[in-house]
Amino acid sequence: MATTYQKIETITVGAGGATALDFVSIPQTFDDLIIKFSFRDGTYGSTLSTCYMTFNNTTSNRSTRWLFGNGGAAGSGNAANMYLPNIPGATATASTFGNADVYIPNYRASQNKSSSADVVPEGNTGGTYMSLVANLWSDTAAINRITLTADGNLAQFSSATLYGIKNS
Amino acid sequence: MAKTYEPIATLAGTGASSIIFSSIPGTFTDLVLVMNGTASSDTNVFVELNGDTSNNYSVTAMTGDGSSASSYRNANYAALQSLFGYFGTAGGMVLGHFMSYANAAINKVVLARYNYVSNLTLAGVGLWRSNSAITSIKVKTSNSATFPTSTKFTLYGIKAA
Amino acid sequence: MSPLAPLGVFAFPGISGGDFESIATVTVGAGGASVASFPSIPSTFKHLQIRFVARSTNSDNMDNLFINLNSDSSSNYSFHYLLGDGSSVGSGAGASQTKVVTGRITSGTAASNAFGAGIIDIADYASTNKNKTLKNLTGVDLNGAGNIWLWSAGWFNTSAISSITIAAASGTNFAQHTQFALYGIKG
Repeated sequence: MATTYQKIETITVGAGGATALDFVSIPQTFDDLIIKFSFRDGTYGSTLSTCYMTFNNTTSNRSTRWLFGNGGAAGSGNAANMYLPNIPGATATASTFGNADVYIPNYRASQNKSSSADVVPEGNTGGTYMSLVANLWSDTAAINRITLTADGNLAQFSSATLYGIKNS
Repeated sequence: MAKTYEPIATLAGTGASSIIFSSIPGTFTDLVLVMNGTASSDTNVFVELNGDTSNNYSVTAMTGDGSSASSYRNANYAALQSLFGYFGTAGGMVLGHFMSYANAAINKVVLARYNYVSNLTLAGVGLWRSNSAITSIKVKTSNSATFPTSTKFTLYGIKAA
Repeated sequence: MSPLAPLGVFAFPGISGGDFESIATVTVGAGGASVASFPSIPSTFKHLQIRFVARSTNSDNMDNLFINLNSDSSSNYSFHYLLGDGSSVGSGAGASQTKVVTGRITSGTAASNAFGAGIIDIADYASTNKNKTLKNLTGVDLNGAGNIWLWSAGWFNTSAISSITIAAASGTNFAQHTQFALYGIKG
Protein backbone atom coordinates (compact mmCIF):
# COMPACT_ATOMS: atom_id res chain seq x y z
CA MET A 1 0.00 0.00 0.00
CA ALA A 2 1.53 3.34 -1.03
CA THR A 3 2.34 5.83 1.71
CA THR A 4 1.67 9.54 1.29
CA TYR A 5 5.09 10.71 0.10
CA GLN A 6 6.98 7.85 -1.53
CA LYS A 7 10.09 7.59 -3.61
CA ILE A 8 9.38 6.04 -7.00
CA GLU A 9 12.89 6.15 -8.46
CA THR A 10 16.26 7.89 -8.20
CA ILE A 11 18.46 8.19 -11.26
CA THR A 12 22.09 9.26 -10.96
CA VAL A 13 24.27 10.05 -13.95
CA GLY A 14 27.44 7.99 -14.18
CA ALA A 15 30.87 8.69 -15.62
CA GLY A 16 30.65 10.04 -19.12
CA GLY A 17 27.44 11.97 -18.50
CA ALA A 18 24.01 11.45 -20.00
CA THR A 19 22.02 13.06 -22.78
CA ALA A 20 18.82 12.69 -20.80
CA LEU A 21 17.44 11.50 -17.52
CA ASP A 22 14.28 9.49 -18.12
CA PHE A 23 11.60 8.27 -15.72
CA VAL A 24 9.68 5.62 -17.65
CA SER A 25 6.70 3.47 -16.75
CA ILE A 26 5.64 5.84 -13.97
CA PRO A 27 3.17 3.94 -11.79
CA GLN A 28 -0.41 5.12 -12.05
CA THR A 29 -1.12 4.67 -8.35
CA PHE A 30 -0.39 8.14 -6.99
CA ASP A 31 -2.17 11.48 -7.30
CA ASP A 32 0.66 14.02 -7.57
CA LEU A 33 4.33 13.79 -8.52
CA ILE A 34 7.34 15.65 -7.17
CA ILE A 35 10.77 15.78 -8.78
CA LYS A 36 13.75 16.92 -6.74
CA PHE A 37 16.93 17.24 -8.73
CA SER A 38 20.54 18.27 -8.42
CA PHE A 39 21.93 18.88 -11.91
CA ARG A 40 24.94 20.19 -13.74
CA ASP A 41 25.49 20.37 -17.49
CA GLY A 42 28.86 18.85 -18.25
CA THR A 43 29.28 19.83 -21.90
CA TYR A 44 27.48 23.10 -22.63
CA GLY A 45 30.19 25.77 -22.86
CA SER A 46 28.64 28.38 -20.63
CA THR A 47 28.17 29.04 -16.93
CA LEU A 48 24.44 28.41 -17.35
CA SER A 49 22.39 25.78 -19.15
CA THR A 50 18.66 25.47 -19.57
CA CYS A 51 16.97 22.31 -18.41
CA TYR A 52 13.91 21.01 -20.29
CA MET A 53 11.05 18.75 -19.26
CA THR A 54 9.04 16.48 -21.55
CA PHE A 55 6.02 14.34 -20.70
CA ASN A 56 5.30 11.06 -22.49
CA ASN A 57 7.98 11.80 -25.09
CA THR A 58 5.65 14.42 -26.59
CA THR A 59 7.15 17.72 -27.70
CA SER A 60 3.95 19.39 -28.82
CA ASN A 61 1.35 21.35 -26.85
CA ARG A 62 3.80 22.71 -24.32
CA SER A 63 4.06 26.19 -22.86
CA THR A 64 6.03 27.88 -20.13
CA ARG A 65 6.14 31.20 -18.32
CA TRP A 66 8.77 32.12 -15.78
CA LEU A 67 10.03 34.86 -13.47
CA PHE A 68 13.79 35.08 -13.15
CA GLY A 69 16.58 36.88 -11.37
CA ASN A 70 20.11 36.91 -12.69
CA GLY A 71 21.87 38.47 -9.73
CA GLY A 72 21.52 41.95 -11.14
CA ALA A 73 18.10 42.28 -12.66
CA ALA A 74 14.76 40.51 -12.74
CA GLY A 75 12.58 39.70 -15.72
CA SER A 76 10.14 37.26 -17.21
CA GLY A 77 10.00 35.01 -20.22
CA ASN A 78 7.77 32.57 -22.05
CA ALA A 79 8.15 29.86 -24.66
CA ALA A 80 6.37 27.03 -26.42
CA ASN A 81 8.22 24.42 -24.43
CA MET A 82 8.57 23.30 -20.81
CA TYR A 83 11.62 24.90 -19.27
CA LEU A 84 13.39 24.57 -15.93
CA PRO A 85 15.86 27.46 -16.12
CA ASN A 86 18.77 27.21 -15.22
CA ILE A 87 21.42 24.80 -14.05
CA PRO A 88 25.19 25.35 -13.93
CA GLY A 89 26.89 24.81 -17.26
CA ALA A 90 30.25 23.28 -18.00
CA THR A 91 32.20 26.46 -17.29
CA ALA A 92 30.46 27.19 -13.96
CA THR A 93 32.35 26.89 -10.68
CA ALA A 94 33.61 23.32 -10.47
CA SER A 95 31.55 20.74 -8.57
CA THR A 96 28.58 23.07 -8.35
CA PHE A 97 25.11 21.78 -9.14
CA GLY A 98 21.73 23.46 -9.40
CA ASN A 99 18.81 22.55 -7.23
CA ALA A 100 15.15 22.30 -8.26
CA ASP A 101 11.76 21.19 -7.05
CA VAL A 102 8.98 20.40 -9.52
CA TYR A 103 5.40 19.72 -8.40
CA ILE A 104 2.98 18.03 -10.82
CA PRO A 105 -0.56 17.72 -9.42
CA ASN A 106 -3.15 15.24 -10.67
CA TYR A 107 -0.80 13.70 -13.21
CA ARG A 108 -3.32 10.95 -14.07
CA ALA A 109 -6.31 13.23 -14.57
CA SER A 110 -8.00 13.65 -17.93
CA GLN A 111 -7.16 17.33 -18.12
CA ASN A 112 -4.27 19.53 -19.12
CA LYS A 113 -1.19 19.14 -16.91
CA SER A 114 0.08 22.16 -15.01
CA SER A 115 3.27 22.07 -12.99
CA SER A 116 5.23 24.37 -10.72
CA ALA A 117 9.02 24.59 -10.53
CA ASP A 118 11.54 26.55 -8.48
CA VAL A 119 15.06 26.30 -9.92
CA VAL A 120 18.36 27.71 -8.65
CA PRO A 121 21.84 27.28 -10.07
CA GLU A 122 24.61 28.59 -7.86
CA GLY A 123 28.20 29.57 -8.39
CA ASN A 124 30.53 31.87 -6.57
CA THR A 125 30.11 34.55 -9.24
CA GLY A 126 27.78 37.47 -9.79
CA GLY A 127 25.75 35.85 -12.52
CA THR A 128 22.99 33.33 -12.06
CA TYR A 129 19.55 32.62 -13.45
CA MET A 130 17.18 31.54 -10.71
CA SER A 131 13.56 31.12 -11.65
CA LEU A 132 10.01 30.49 -10.62
CA VAL A 133 8.31 28.58 -13.41
CA ALA A 134 4.84 27.68 -14.60
CA ASN A 135 4.73 24.88 -17.16
CA LEU A 136 1.71 23.49 -19.01
CA TRP A 137 1.29 20.40 -21.13
CA SER A 138 -2.00 20.82 -22.95
CA ASP A 139 -2.77 17.13 -23.16
CA THR A 140 -5.32 15.06 -21.26
CA ALA A 141 -3.26 11.85 -21.25
CA ALA A 142 -1.99 10.49 -17.95
CA ILE A 143 1.71 11.15 -17.51
CA ASN A 144 3.63 7.90 -17.69
CA ARG A 145 7.06 9.20 -18.66
CA ILE A 146 9.09 12.27 -17.71
CA THR A 147 12.31 13.14 -19.51
CA LEU A 148 14.75 15.78 -18.32
CA THR A 149 17.41 17.15 -20.63
CA ALA A 150 19.70 20.16 -20.78
CA ASP A 151 21.39 22.25 -23.45
CA GLY A 152 24.34 19.83 -23.27
CA ASN A 153 24.78 16.52 -21.48
CA LEU A 154 23.99 16.09 -17.82
CA ALA A 155 27.21 15.75 -15.88
CA GLN A 156 28.29 12.81 -13.75
CA PHE A 157 26.69 12.89 -10.28
CA SER A 158 23.63 14.75 -11.55
CA SER A 159 20.67 13.09 -9.91
CA ALA A 160 16.91 13.32 -9.80
CA THR A 161 14.37 11.61 -7.59
CA LEU A 162 10.75 11.13 -8.56
CA TYR A 163 8.25 10.96 -5.68
CA GLY A 164 4.62 9.96 -5.70
CA ILE A 165 2.12 11.72 -3.44
CA LYS A 166 -1.12 10.02 -2.38
CA ASN A 167 -4.02 12.27 -1.43
CA SER A 168 -5.92 9.66 0.54
CA MET B 1 -0.60 10.36 16.38
CA ALA B 2 -0.11 12.31 13.15
CA LYS B 3 2.39 11.04 10.61
CA THR B 4 5.00 13.40 9.17
CA TYR B 5 3.27 14.00 5.80
CA GLU B 6 -0.36 13.02 5.66
CA PRO B 7 -3.40 13.83 3.53
CA ILE B 8 -6.19 15.46 5.52
CA ALA B 9 -8.87 15.78 2.86
CA THR B 10 -9.45 16.07 -0.88
CA LEU B 11 -12.31 18.07 -2.27
CA ALA B 12 -13.55 18.42 -5.80
CA GLY B 13 -15.36 21.40 -7.18
CA THR B 14 -19.14 21.00 -7.09
CA GLY B 15 -20.20 23.58 -9.59
CA ALA B 16 -20.37 26.08 -6.75
CA SER B 17 -18.26 29.20 -6.32
CA SER B 18 -16.36 27.92 -3.29
CA ILE B 19 -15.09 24.93 -1.43
CA ILE B 20 -14.28 24.73 2.23
CA PHE B 21 -12.06 22.56 4.37
CA SER B 22 -13.69 22.47 7.79
CA SER B 23 -12.74 21.00 11.14
CA ILE B 24 -9.06 20.98 10.28
CA PRO B 25 -7.28 19.07 13.05
CA GLY B 26 -4.70 21.00 15.07
CA THR B 27 -2.29 18.09 15.26
CA PHE B 28 0.07 19.10 12.45
CA THR B 29 2.66 21.87 12.19
CA ASP B 30 2.09 23.15 8.66
CA LEU B 31 -0.63 22.67 6.08
CA VAL B 32 -0.07 22.34 2.33
CA LEU B 33 -3.03 23.06 0.05
CA VAL B 34 -2.75 21.92 -3.56
CA MET B 35 -5.30 23.37 -5.97
CA ASN B 36 -5.34 22.23 -9.58
CA GLY B 37 -7.80 22.81 -12.37
CA THR B 38 -10.00 25.48 -13.86
CA ALA B 39 -12.88 27.82 -13.17
CA SER B 40 -16.00 28.11 -15.27
CA SER B 41 -14.95 31.61 -16.33
CA ASP B 42 -12.30 34.16 -15.48
CA THR B 43 -12.08 34.91 -11.79
CA ASN B 44 -9.72 35.85 -9.05
CA VAL B 45 -9.43 33.27 -6.30
CA PHE B 46 -9.69 34.36 -2.69
CA VAL B 47 -8.96 32.51 0.56
CA GLU B 48 -10.80 33.02 3.84
CA LEU B 49 -9.67 31.54 7.11
CA ASN B 50 -11.98 30.50 9.93
CA GLY B 51 -14.85 32.35 8.31
CA ASP B 52 -13.15 35.69 8.98
CA THR B 53 -14.42 38.28 6.48
CA SER B 54 -13.04 41.30 8.32
CA ASN B 55 -10.15 43.33 6.95
CA ASN B 56 -7.52 41.14 8.58
CA TYR B 57 -5.61 39.98 5.52
CA SER B 58 -2.69 41.27 3.44
CA VAL B 59 -0.41 40.00 0.69
CA THR B 60 2.99 40.78 -0.85
CA ALA B 61 3.77 39.05 -4.14
CA MET B 62 5.97 39.01 -7.21
CA THR B 63 4.92 37.86 -10.65
CA GLY B 64 6.24 37.10 -14.11
CA ASP B 65 3.77 37.45 -16.95
CA GLY B 66 6.06 36.22 -19.68
CA SER B 67 7.48 39.58 -20.58
CA SER B 68 7.97 41.57 -17.40
CA ALA B 69 8.43 41.08 -13.67
CA SER B 70 6.16 42.89 -11.22
CA SER B 71 5.50 43.11 -7.52
CA TYR B 72 2.47 44.32 -5.65
CA ARG B 73 1.05 44.51 -2.20
CA ASN B 74 -2.38 44.79 -0.62
CA ALA B 75 -3.35 45.53 2.97
CA ASN B 76 -6.42 45.39 5.19
CA TYR B 77 -8.39 43.18 2.84
CA ALA B 78 -11.32 40.94 3.70
CA ALA B 79 -9.62 37.78 2.38
CA LEU B 80 -6.25 36.66 1.06
CA GLN B 81 -6.54 38.20 -2.40
CA SER B 82 -4.12 38.02 -5.30
CA LEU B 83 -2.21 35.22 -3.62
CA PHE B 84 -3.99 32.20 -5.12
CA GLY B 85 -4.14 34.00 -8.42
CA TYR B 86 -6.62 34.03 -11.23
CA PHE B 87 -8.30 31.06 -12.85
CA GLY B 88 -10.30 30.53 -15.98
CA THR B 89 -10.89 27.74 -18.43
CA ALA B 90 -7.19 27.04 -19.08
CA GLY B 91 -5.32 24.88 -16.58
CA GLY B 92 -3.54 26.20 -13.51
CA MET B 93 -2.38 25.27 -10.04
CA VAL B 94 -1.51 26.67 -6.63
CA LEU B 95 0.67 25.38 -3.81
CA GLY B 96 -0.24 27.10 -0.54
CA HIS B 97 1.81 26.56 2.61
CA PHE B 98 0.07 27.55 5.84
CA MET B 99 2.98 27.76 8.25
CA SER B 100 2.57 26.94 11.96
CA TYR B 101 -1.16 27.12 11.35
CA ALA B 102 -2.12 25.90 14.82
CA ASN B 103 0.28 28.06 16.82
CA ALA B 104 -1.88 30.26 19.07
CA ALA B 105 0.96 32.72 19.73
CA ILE B 106 1.54 34.05 16.22
CA ASN B 107 -0.27 35.59 13.29
CA LYS B 108 -0.66 33.19 10.40
CA VAL B 109 1.66 33.29 7.40
CA VAL B 110 0.90 31.68 4.04
CA LEU B 111 3.54 31.13 1.35
CA ALA B 112 2.12 30.49 -2.11
CA ARG B 113 3.24 29.51 -5.58
CA TYR B 114 0.63 30.13 -8.26
CA ASN B 115 1.13 28.94 -11.82
CA TYR B 116 -1.22 29.67 -14.68
CA VAL B 117 0.69 29.57 -17.93
CA SER B 118 -1.81 31.62 -19.89
CA ASN B 119 -1.56 34.33 -17.22
CA LEU B 120 1.53 34.37 -15.01
CA THR B 121 3.64 32.69 -12.37
CA LEU B 122 3.62 34.11 -8.84
CA ALA B 123 5.34 33.71 -5.51
CA GLY B 124 3.73 35.43 -2.59
CA VAL B 125 3.34 35.72 1.15
CA GLY B 126 0.05 36.33 2.88
CA LEU B 127 -0.71 37.39 6.44
CA TRP B 128 -3.83 36.72 8.47
CA ARG B 129 -3.66 38.99 11.50
CA SER B 130 -5.05 36.48 13.92
CA ASN B 131 -3.43 34.20 16.45
CA SER B 132 -6.26 31.69 16.17
CA ALA B 133 -5.41 28.22 14.98
CA ILE B 134 -6.68 27.74 11.45
CA THR B 135 -9.64 25.39 11.60
CA SER B 136 -11.22 26.12 8.23
CA ILE B 137 -9.98 27.23 4.81
CA LYS B 138 -12.44 28.53 2.23
CA VAL B 139 -11.32 28.92 -1.37
CA LYS B 140 -13.74 30.98 -3.39
CA THR B 141 -14.14 32.85 -6.62
CA SER B 142 -14.42 36.62 -6.69
CA ASN B 143 -17.52 36.65 -8.89
CA SER B 144 -20.13 34.21 -10.20
CA ALA B 145 -17.55 31.81 -11.61
CA THR B 146 -17.65 28.28 -10.26
CA PHE B 147 -15.26 25.39 -9.74
CA PRO B 148 -16.10 22.34 -11.90
CA THR B 149 -15.82 18.81 -10.59
CA SER B 150 -12.53 18.37 -12.42
CA THR B 151 -10.89 20.99 -10.20
CA LYS B 152 -9.29 19.37 -7.19
CA PHE B 153 -8.23 20.72 -3.82
CA THR B 154 -6.11 18.58 -1.49
CA LEU B 155 -5.03 19.52 2.03
CA TYR B 156 -1.97 17.84 3.52
CA GLY B 157 -0.58 18.09 7.03
CA ILE B 158 3.13 18.14 7.85
CA LYS B 159 4.08 17.24 11.39
CA ALA B 160 7.35 18.35 12.95
CA ALA B 161 8.91 16.33 15.71
CA MET C 1 26.91 35.46 20.14
CA SER C 2 26.71 34.56 23.79
CA PRO C 3 27.83 31.02 24.60
CA LEU C 4 25.33 31.06 27.42
CA ALA C 5 22.29 31.88 25.33
CA PRO C 6 19.75 29.08 25.27
CA LEU C 7 19.50 27.21 21.99
CA GLY C 8 15.84 26.41 22.18
CA VAL C 9 14.00 23.20 22.71
CA PHE C 10 15.29 20.35 20.54
CA ALA C 11 12.80 17.61 19.77
CA PHE C 12 13.35 14.26 18.09
CA PRO C 13 11.50 12.44 15.32
CA GLY C 14 7.90 11.31 15.23
CA ILE C 15 6.16 8.88 12.91
CA SER C 16 7.15 9.19 9.26
CA GLY C 17 4.60 9.56 6.48
CA GLY C 18 6.60 7.64 3.93
CA ASP C 19 9.88 8.96 2.62
CA PHE C 20 9.40 12.44 4.12
CA GLU C 21 10.50 12.31 7.75
CA SER C 22 10.90 14.74 10.59
CA ILE C 23 14.49 14.73 11.85
CA ALA C 24 14.40 17.40 14.56
CA THR C 25 12.70 20.63 15.56
CA VAL C 26 14.05 23.66 17.40
CA THR C 27 11.46 25.84 19.14
CA VAL C 28 12.59 28.98 20.89
CA GLY C 29 11.26 29.45 24.38
CA ALA C 30 10.82 32.46 26.63
CA GLY C 31 14.05 34.40 26.82
CA GLY C 32 14.91 33.83 23.18
CA ALA C 33 17.85 32.03 21.61
CA SER C 34 20.94 33.23 19.83
CA VAL C 35 20.98 30.41 17.28
CA ALA C 36 19.04 27.38 16.14
CA SER C 37 21.31 24.41 15.55
CA PHE C 38 20.89 21.01 14.01
CA PRO C 39 23.98 19.02 15.01
CA SER C 40 24.69 15.45 13.94
CA ILE C 41 22.44 15.36 10.87
CA PRO C 42 22.24 11.76 9.67
CA SER C 43 23.55 11.09 6.19
CA THR C 44 20.87 8.53 5.45
CA PHE C 45 18.51 10.82 3.51
CA LYS C 46 18.83 12.18 -0.02
CA HIS C 47 17.54 15.71 0.54
CA LEU C 48 16.79 18.04 3.44
CA GLN C 49 14.04 20.57 3.97
CA ILE C 50 13.80 23.18 6.72
CA ARG C 51 10.40 24.79 7.30
CA PHE C 52 10.34 27.78 9.60
CA VAL C 53 8.53 30.67 11.18
CA ALA C 54 10.87 33.16 12.75
CA ARG C 55 11.22 36.54 14.38
CA SER C 56 14.29 38.19 15.82
CA THR C 57 14.79 40.83 18.49
CA ASN C 58 16.73 43.16 16.21
CA SER C 59 15.68 46.82 16.32
CA ASP C 60 14.07 46.86 12.88
CA ASN C 61 10.92 45.43 11.36
CA MET C 62 12.78 42.85 9.26
CA ASP C 63 16.02 40.96 9.69
CA ASN C 64 18.23 38.63 7.72
CA LEU C 65 18.51 34.91 8.33
CA PHE C 66 22.03 33.47 8.20
CA ILE C 67 23.21 29.89 7.86
CA ASN C 68 26.56 28.22 8.47
CA LEU C 69 27.15 24.62 7.51
CA ASN C 70 29.41 22.21 9.40
CA SER C 71 30.61 25.16 11.52
CA ASP C 72 32.44 26.57 8.51
CA SER C 73 32.90 30.32 8.95
CA SER C 74 35.44 30.80 6.16
CA SER C 75 34.66 32.66 2.94
CA ASN C 76 33.10 29.62 1.34
CA TYR C 77 29.58 30.83 0.71
CA SER C 78 27.71 32.78 -1.95
CA PHE C 79 24.13 33.88 -2.39
CA HIS C 80 21.72 35.18 -4.99
CA TYR C 81 18.19 36.42 -4.61
CA LEU C 82 15.04 37.37 -6.46
CA LEU C 83 13.03 39.87 -4.47
CA GLY C 84 9.56 41.35 -4.67
CA ASP C 85 9.11 44.32 -2.35
CA GLY C 86 5.54 45.20 -3.14
CA SER C 87 6.38 47.65 -5.90
CA SER C 88 9.18 46.16 -7.98
CA VAL C 89 11.18 42.98 -8.50
CA GLY C 90 14.93 42.98 -8.10
CA SER C 91 17.84 40.58 -7.98
CA GLY C 92 21.17 40.63 -6.26
CA ALA C 93 24.16 38.54 -5.30
CA GLY C 94 27.12 38.16 -2.98
CA ALA C 95 30.23 36.04 -3.28
CA SER C 96 32.90 34.78 -0.89
CA GLN C 97 30.76 35.18 2.21
CA THR C 98 31.62 33.81 5.66
CA LYS C 99 27.98 32.88 6.19
CA VAL C 100 25.08 32.81 3.85
CA VAL C 101 22.09 35.09 3.92
CA THR C 102 19.20 32.87 3.07
CA GLY C 103 16.01 34.54 4.10
CA ARG C 104 14.17 37.38 5.73
CA ILE C 105 12.17 37.31 8.93
CA THR C 106 10.35 39.83 11.06
CA SER C 107 12.11 41.63 13.83
CA GLY C 108 11.61 43.64 17.02
CA THR C 109 9.71 46.67 15.72
CA ALA C 110 7.32 44.67 13.53
CA ALA C 111 3.75 44.30 14.72
CA SER C 112 3.61 41.94 17.64
CA ASN C 113 2.91 38.32 16.74
CA ALA C 114 4.09 38.88 13.14
CA PHE C 115 6.59 36.28 11.97
CA GLY C 116 8.39 35.62 8.71
CA ALA C 117 8.26 32.16 7.16
CA GLY C 118 10.24 30.08 4.73
CA ILE C 119 11.00 26.72 3.19
CA ILE C 120 14.66 25.82 2.59
CA ASP C 121 15.50 22.91 0.32
CA ILE C 122 18.92 21.29 0.13
CA ALA C 123 19.27 18.64 -2.55
CA ASP C 124 21.89 15.89 -2.29
CA TYR C 125 23.15 17.29 1.02
CA ALA C 126 25.23 14.19 1.77
CA SER C 127 26.98 13.91 -1.58
CA THR C 128 30.75 14.16 -1.33
CA ASN C 129 31.00 14.90 -5.06
CA LYS C 130 29.24 18.24 -5.00
CA ASN C 131 29.36 21.66 -3.48
CA LYS C 132 26.06 22.31 -1.73
CA THR C 133 23.23 24.43 -3.09
CA LEU C 134 20.39 25.75 -0.94
CA LYS C 135 17.07 27.12 -2.18
CA ASN C 136 14.72 29.15 0.03
CA LEU C 137 11.27 30.58 -0.66
CA THR C 138 10.71 33.04 2.16
CA GLY C 139 8.48 35.96 2.92
CA VAL C 140 7.42 38.62 5.35
CA ASP C 141 4.14 40.49 5.13
CA LEU C 142 3.43 43.31 7.57
CA ASN C 143 0.09 44.57 6.27
CA GLY C 144 1.53 47.36 4.17
CA ALA C 145 5.17 46.36 4.16
CA GLY C 146 7.16 43.21 3.54
CA ASN C 147 8.99 41.21 0.95
CA ILE C 148 8.82 37.89 -0.89
CA TRP C 149 12.11 36.27 -1.82
CA LEU C 150 13.56 33.34 -3.66
CA TRP C 151 17.06 32.83 -2.33
CA SER C 152 19.80 30.53 -3.51
CA ALA C 153 22.97 29.89 -1.60
CA GLY C 154 26.14 27.99 -2.29
CA TRP C 155 28.55 26.33 0.09
CA PHE C 156 31.76 25.56 -1.77
CA ASN C 157 32.68 22.41 0.09
CA THR C 158 32.07 18.84 -1.01
CA SER C 159 31.69 17.50 2.52
CA ALA C 160 28.39 16.00 3.48
CA ILE C 161 26.35 18.45 5.53
CA SER C 162 26.39 17.17 9.09
CA SER C 163 25.33 20.30 10.95
CA ILE C 164 23.34 23.45 10.26
CA THR C 165 23.48 26.58 12.39
CA ILE C 166 20.91 29.31 11.81
CA ALA C 167 21.18 32.80 13.23
CA ALA C 168 19.69 36.25 12.92
CA ALA C 169 21.74 39.44 12.67
CA SER C 170 24.83 39.52 14.84
CA GLY C 171 24.09 40.29 18.45
CA THR C 172 20.36 39.62 18.23
CA ASN C 173 18.29 36.67 19.32
CA PHE C 174 15.46 34.73 17.86
CA ALA C 175 12.24 35.59 19.63
CA GLN C 176 10.07 33.15 21.52
CA HIS C 177 7.85 30.97 19.28
CA THR C 178 10.42 30.96 16.48
CA GLN C 179 10.55 27.42 15.13
CA PHE C 180 12.81 25.63 12.67
CA ALA C 181 11.78 22.11 11.66
CA LEU C 182 14.26 19.88 9.81
CA TYR C 183 12.97 17.12 7.57
CA GLY C 184 14.79 14.41 5.66
CA ILE C 185 13.58 13.08 2.34
CA LYS C 186 14.75 9.63 1.31
CA GLY C 187 15.92 8.92 -2.18
